[in-house]
Amino acid sequence: MLDPFFAKWHGIDRTTIEWGPKIDATKCTGCGLCVVTCGEKRNVYGFDPDSKKAVVMYPQHCMVGCDNCAMACLWDAISFPHDAEYLKVLSRKINKEQITKELDKKLTENPGLVIE
Amino acid sequence: MAGKEWFGVERSTFSWGPIIDEEKCTQCGLCLLSCGAGVFGYSGSKKTFRVINFGSCTMGCTTCGKVCPESAISFPDSSRTFMHSAVVKGKIFPKVKEALALRLEKFPDHVQHLKSEEK
Repeated sequence: MLDPFFAKWHGIDRTTIEWGPKIDATKCTGCGLCVVTCGEKRNVYGFDPDSKKAVVMYPQHCMVGCDNCAMACLWDAISFPHDAEYLKVLSRKINKEQITKELDKKLTENPGLVIE
Repeated sequence: MAGKEWFGVERSTFSWGPIIDEEKCTQCGLCLLSCGAGVFGYSGSKKTFRVINFGSCTMGCTTCGKVCPESAISFPDSSRTFMHSAVVKGKIFPKVKEALALRLEKFPDHVQHLKSEEK
């Protein structure tokens, strides 16, 4: 079972979305940058101290659209299943009312984001 | 006061953040929702979304641009090129090593002994 926080992406069932990192262990040098580039909330990665390799633990917790770990990896050891085109098709499917609802909530909780 | 750091390097020494093409933007607000760094703001009077904290953008992050249905958001450089240069020039690996140790200390279940599990 997915943690409720990760279960939906703007109303879309997260399990239907193909988005998460894959590590090519033959390229991974175990630097750990991917592990710490991913935030503590999602914390997609683990680390194997024996083989000194990063390990993908929770790909379904990966933020849809984020591939910061892959971009930072000097050895290009991380890949994602899709590119921006896939995400655009997906984002066009988001219900407008869902966005409005989420925006209201976020702007209320973060008044600093509202400007004149 | 020292500014925000990225693995020991002053964040303000880097120029990285989103640029909205106003012609293409349809004001859907998905960029603001996608951003966890508070880069985007909403103007109540103009009813538009704008970049209000360019320098707060997460290093190399292009999430808002990738999910933007109108492809209205661009960045100063390709993310990979920018990040590889930042990682190398910043000589960040000693700090990364420290951060990794701290992360695994805080989340011990993320220490994965893969070989021993197979036995």
